[in-house]
Amino acid sequence: MKNKKLLFWLIILLVLGCIYVVTQKPTKLGLDLVGGSRLVLEAQTTSTIPKITPDNMDSLKFAIEDRVNAMGVAETVVQKEGDKRLIVEIPDVSDPEKAKEFLGETAELEFKRPVQNFDGTEGWVPTGLTGKDLKKALVSTNSQNGEWVVSLEFNEVGTKKFGNLTKELVGKQMAIFFNGELTSAPVIQEPILGGQAQISGGKGGFEYEEAKKMVDLLNAGALPVPAKIIEENTVGPTLGADSISNSKFAGMIGLSFVMIFMILYYRVPGLIADIALVIYSLIVFSIFKIIPVTLTLAGIAGFILSIGMAVDANILIFERTKEELRVGRTLFTAINLGFERAFTSIFDSNMSTIITCIILYILGTSVVKGFALTLAIGTIVSMFSAITVTKNFMHLLFGTGNLKHPEWFGLKAEEINSAYVADETKRENAKFGILD
Amino acid sequence: MFSNAKKIIDIVKYRWIFLVISILLIVPSIGAMGYLTVKTGAPLLVGIDFTGGTIIQYSVDTKLSNVDIANVREKLSAEGIENPVIQILTTTSNKEGKSKSTEIISIKTAFDGDKNSNKTNTVTNTITSIYPEAKLVQVSSVGPTLGKELMKNSIIAVLLAIVGICAYLSLRFHFEYAMFAIFTLVHDVLFVLGVFAFLGIFYGVHVDALFISAVLTVLGFSVHDTIVVYDRIRENLKFASKSATFDEVVDASVNQTLTRSINTSLTTLFTLLALYFFGGVTTKDFVLAMILGISVGTYSSIFVASVLLVFYNHVKESKKVKA
Repeated sequence: MKNKKLLFWLIILLVLGCIYVVTQKPTKLGLDLVGGSRLVLEAQTTSTIPKITPDNMDSLKFAIEDRVNAMGVAETVVQKEGDKRLIVEIPDVSDPEKAKEFLGETAELEFKRPVQNFDGTEGWVPTGLTGKDLKKALVSTNSQNGEWVVSLEFNEVGTKKFGNLTKELVGKQMAIFFNGELTSAPVIQEPILGGQAQISGGKGGFEYEEAKKMVDLLNAGALPVPAKIIEENTVGPTLGADSISNSKFAGMIGLSFVMIFMILYYRVPGLIADIALVIYSLIVFSIFKIIPVTLTLAGIAGFILSIGMAVDANILIFERTKEELRVGRTLFTAINLGFERAFTSIFDSNMSTIITCIILYILGTSVVKGFALTLAIGTIVSMFSAITVTKNFMHLLFGTGNLKHPEWFGLKAEEINSAYVADETKRENAKFGILD
Repeated sequence: MFSNAKKIIDIVKYRWIFLVISILLIVPSIGAMGYLTVKTGAPLLVGIDFTGGTIIQYSVDTKLSNVDIANVREKLSAEGIENPVIQILTTTSNKEGKSKSTEIISIKTAFDGDKNSNKTNTVTNTITSIYPEAKLVQVSSVGPTLGKELMKNSIIAVLLAIVGICAYLSLRFHFEYAMFAIFTLVHDVLFVLGVFAFLGIFYGVHVDALFISAVLTVLGFSVHDTIVVYDRIRENLKFASKSATFDEVVDASVNQTLTRSINTSLTTLFTLLALYFFGGVTTKDFVLAMILGISVGTYSSIFVASVLLVFYNHVKESKKVKA
């Protein structure tokens, strides 16, 4: 009994710790709950980059991070997934479409010179001068016709390259390609040595928006490899808030039904199971906050489901305990046997759930991963709460001796001693009994 | 031996009835999936998560009718959005005890992979021109290659989970027990898939990535339930095999675990029903799949898993006699 009391105080200590964590630490909520955009980018191979290497991915990640940060939104996340994918999460984005355009563009600026092809047609060849040689870009207007233009300022190397190039091309055309498209091809009048240039929008000139976007992209820097958006998920803030309040409401109702049912059916042990269930929820939520697990809608579903598992363990135990009591065992023995004999069922069935969770976690998409993680944590904690916590409370409350109040267990007095079991079970055999 | 134990169901005696019930559950399910496979190339109507595509949703305050849908469709087509699938969803939100319902227009189009076309903006402009108060609620867009990959991964995940569970059960029980547990599990999953095939045929319900988690959970639960019954059979066999026949042991074991099976399902169903009626609209199908799966899983753990063992044992015994 002394050990039992010590364990009881340890449980109380754990509960207090959990309450502290739950109240002090913030819950990390997924974008489907707070609202925001989640994009999956996939690096694309090109003729110059036939295979995506980890180095490519690292530099792509940096470039994307730069761009995301340039948007000025707090708590953005950029992470790698697999060999060639990046997940970008932007909470509270006001215009998801703009963010999308911004991330996917490669911002490849190239200066090309004219060439006579063998078949007599004209074409363009790269000169080695690219967006990498820029210091900065800005939007300005052409002093002659008032059209929007993009002003470029080269860095030291760029200035030299640009100077040499314009010297060579006096009287000829030089083409400016942006993302593979010919933007303009002015005729060079004289060498430009000051390291400054302007891109006009060709015949019709730039729209302001167009020029601004180009400038933003140029300043953010080119992506080392082109990337394509292959998945998008944007949730408006109202839907997220609704989902939270709905899930909370549903969880409360479901939980209250379960608790009432347990008390009605199992009486005093039911009440103990309910207390254990509250402790269980506290522990699980503390773990969610400590790891931290990002709670998504699917994650909440996984948690609510694990409540089912936790209750199941208690039901298994109480059913066995009741059986042992019907046979006429003393309280202490009946409770112990109830726990021991239910243990194999609880252990084996929870193991199969955990196996499923592990496979889901490894193979699933991020939605499925969230679900698997919360369900697995819940299942593991439920083994502790259902076995250690409930058992301890049962022993302390009922003590030893014969059952004096059968109604506490929802049993009738005449049921006691009315049944007998198959055999005297050896505890150690029953625990991990394997069929031969 | 077990004469004094409470006996509620005579499981072995009526085993043929349970076999017929299971066949009645499964055959139409397979039929519905076959019908859809012939018609669409997949056993279920699969959503954009698997096929690729874009779904854009807006919330509006006005109540919408079929006329409104037709109007929206016409306007979208005029803007160059081809064959949009338009649905109206109603969500209720509970804030401080007050429930408020909102209509959501859901528009599904082909995947918008071209960043210059900006389909979402076109759709948004069209919708706000009809309903100025409309708010963009959700955009989900999946590329076609990603969809195929998800489909492949999902099938691998389900198969791996089955193999994993089978290995674990062979280790803890007999290989035969593992096989029957898997058989029961397939029974349950087929039923859930079948119901969704019917929902697809009659109500156009599509399954998404979350549905895979639901199926996997059903899988876990089904085995969970079966294990509890088999565990009891294992225990009873160990201590009673000399004085009771196998049929008696199975009968007694099922009856001993019956209250537990029903109570567990009830408590889990409480939470799931609460989620179904009060939870978010996005998880409704997910929860429905689990409600179906847990109900059929409880049924099969009581009536199918045990009956299979009895049939198997009869075959084994008769072979022994012949030998």
